[in-house]
Amino acid sequence: MKKSEIRACLKAQRNITAYELISTKKDSRELFYVLDHLEINRAVKVNSDVIRVYVADGKTTGTSTVTVTAADDSKTLARKLKNAVKQAKAARNRYYPLAEKTVNIRKLSKKKADLNEVAMKVAEAVLKADVYENGWINSTEIFVSAVRKEFVNSNGTDHITDGFKIEVECIPTWSSGKEEFELYKFYESDRLDCDQITKEINEILNLAKARSEAKTLKQVKLPKDIKVLVKNDMLETIIGNLVYDISYRNVYMKENHYNKGDKVSDNPFTVTLKPSVSGCAASALYDDNGIVLKARPVIKDGIVKANHGDQRFGYYLGEKKISGKLPVTELKAEGSTYEKEKHLIIENFSAPQLEENSGYWGGEVRLARYFDGKKYIPLTGFSIAGQIYDDLKKVEFSKEQTLMSSYKGPKYMIFKGIKIS
Amino acid sequence: MLNRYLKTRISDARKLVKDLRKHYDYASVLGTCVSNRYITVSTHVNSIDEVDSECGFVIKVYKDGRYSEYSCNDIRGLKAGDVIKAVKLKKIVSADFKVRMLEEKEHVEDYLREDKSKLSNTQIRDRLKEVKEKIEKSDDRIINFVSRYNKRETSKIFVSDRKCLSQKYDWINVATMIVCREGDNIQSNYNSEGEADSKLALKKFAENAAGVADIALKLLKAKPIRPGRYTIITDPSISGLIAHEAFGHGVEMDMFVKNRAKAVDYVGKYVASKLVNMYDGASSCISAASYFFDDDGVEAHTTQIIKDGILQTGISDSLSAMVLGTEPTGNGRRQDYQRKVYTRMTNTWFAPGKDKLENMIKSVKHGYYLCQTNNGMEDPKNWQIQCTASYGMEIKDGKFTGKIVAPVVISGYVIDLLNSISMVSDEVKIDGSGMCGKGHKEWVYVSDGGPYLKAEAKLG
Repeated sequence: MKKSEIRACLKAQRNITAYELISTKKDSRELFYVLDHLEINRAVKVNSDVIRVYVADGKTTGTSTVTVTAADDSKTLARKLKNAVKQAKAARNRYYPLAEKTVNIRKLSKKKADLNEVAMKVAEAVLKADVYENGWINSTEIFVSAVRKEFVNSNGTDHITDGFKIEVECIPTWSSGKEEFELYKFYESDRLDCDQITKEINEILNLAKARSEAKTLKQVKLPKDIKVLVKNDMLETIIGNLVYDISYRNVYMKENHYNKGDKVSDNPFTVTLKPSVSGCAASALYDDNGIVLKARPVIKDGIVKANHGDQRFGYYLGEKKISGKLPVTELKAEGSTYEKEKHLIIENFSAPQLEENSGYWGGEVRLARYFDGKKYIPLTGFSIAGQIYDDLKKVEFSKEQTLMSSYKGPKYMIFKGIKIS
Repeated sequence: MLNRYLKTRISDARKLVKDLRKHYDYASVLGTCVSNRYITVSTHVNSIDEVDSECGFVIKVYKDGRYSEYSCNDIRGLKAGDVIKAVKLKKIVSADFKVRMLEEKEHVEDYLREDKSKLSNTQIRDRLKEVKEKIEKSDDRIINFVSRYNKRETSKIFVSDRKCLSQKYDWINVATMIVCREGDNIQSNYNSEGEADSKLALKKFAENAAGVADIALKLLKAKPIRPGRYTIITDPSISGLIAHEAFGHGVEMDMFVKNRAKAVDYVGKYVASKLVNMYDGASSCISAASYFFDDDGVEAHTTQIIKDGILQTGISDSLSAMVLGTEPTGNGRRQDYQRKVYTRMTNTWFAPGKDKLENMIKSVKHGYYLCQTNNGMEDPKNWQIQCTASYGMEIKDGKFTGKIVAPVVISGYVIDLLNSISMVSDEVKIDGSGMCGKGHKEWVYVSDGGPYLKAEAKLG
């Protein structure tokens, strides 16, 4: 349906107090390789519209969300909206208003990228790293997408932004001669950097090689209380959990472990939530409620300074300046030295786990590298486990920096006293 | 009945396939309309939403040994030229390789399986509310009770030269999440009841909610497990998780095509104790992944994967079957119409044995009864396994000690775990409330389950 038709339908519904309309237009090209041959290519050109209807009476707010699909026309949408009003009236909650109108954001791409061309450049960059005799890229999936997002609400907010994303999933494999070993790699960026893609694929191929040479804990005895370094998705999971813990939602529901003023750690690190950081694919200028996002420091010197989050729970907590949902976390900390002492770097988990309520974290390790004081020894087939709210108290960070989808900061979190079995 | 809109697009799909066949050796159209209704009643938030719904089409074409696909919102007015333009590649980075073309048999059929209970939103909300209020009152350490009813109505059409299929099926989940707090100690527990009938799903939800709360409160006293090897008794959800992670992903035959599955070398060989029989299939039971035809237009199957401990065969989508020269098993599934087909599990379960649960527990000298799937991860190439149970109950000398450990991670080598199965209970439960990813994406609804199993495992 055209936007004008949707808006006309919304205007015609007299019982709606307020509304939000989120529209997404996606154009993507996808390549699927088995080894170095292209098995299938895909093109995706789709639109979607989601409408959140508000019915409020000053004391309560009811909401109901509906999806507008290709099957809808003005008649069926009018029926859906009428029904949504009925549902919103039935599902009452404590009152909260729409986010206030702010400046409208318009960030449109001047030049339309040739997505097929970009996808092929990515494919070339991946295959460029595939140069080893005993190692290869088993399969690769490449997604290049241009997404236009529009947000409109009944307060007059009207944002429109263009986004671009490259995603690469690949399976590096290494043969020891007797057996083949594989790992998993997911790369995501908001810009084309062929050299970086080749570099990262090369790195993961070499880690697959390390896995093929890896020893078990029976073969290598680790010292007690060894420093354990975690990175990548485990690090992003831990930081994401810490940030979520101090969100308005968690504070309101009393599911938080930290209140403002609480000390998270003896380490005086700083966490600032940001709307966008170049290279972080999760970047966004506004959130799902249309709130224009601005950087917010939430942890300073290891102490919680502020909460953050969405319109609803921010309003419930009486926040004067509701931050909106900020997608990128920037962490700054003094870097520790670990390089010369014995340590264990967890390179790859089967599936990193963190249970937000109990704080359990860990998982089965597919590949780790143990530095015995002289050299790195690859290890596999063991698990680590910890209690994150205890472990954060003494956490350290590396000097090396990294950039991920929703994180910018030290490459490694360094823990001591983690259970290894 | 089949979604009215999709019905109107069958003739468009036929015309488009006919036009595309002038340019391609094969063409098909898959149309999907999925409607999701959520009713949430909780301590802090209530809502009734229709989200995660979708409606769209996938056009698949084949020429010169390669497949291409185009996903779009609508096919009315779509010309063959539009598809050709969308999937055309100016430059191709690829080694020379040709995939065989899909071969299809004549098949025209309409299928239907609908929720027999016609409950209004008010009736459902009132039922959820009644249970919520009862549970909230039961203990003041309960700080958040969340119940969510979800009815998913799926309509699909598949049209090619030789096929014209339609299906409509419903699935209902009622989930419970309970969070409790004692000082700084916060614990949660959840449960989800999946059924093809709303009344039945709500009945089970109401019956089990108090038990979910009881476990959440007990978890406040839970301790971490001391890592080591133990005798375990798995409840049906953990048995299902093991089936799913150990040999479900391992026999997805698109992994055979990529030489990513160790299982390909073990067909016809022992991979588990002789007590183990394992199945997968959309027609193997009525659960979350029970459909009539898959996203390749192949009829649902029941596949026996392990028979008396011996690996029999894998499961496959059409494309993998063409490459491998095997028959497709109706396991070609997409996350949604915007995504590619992969070989995916459906309902995956271990078959029952002859043992009684009470005898199994009595036989344990020191070990744990492991309950409730938390999550898991596969490693089909190297057969490492990671399965997490939400909690475990200690057993000593055949009796529960009352000690609870949480969470519990089972890890180790798949074959060691499956070979250690020494008792299999005579009752089977299949849990139809989960979702499964392939690698770290491509989420589809699956179910898994089985009997209670006694085995030896590394816990941490």
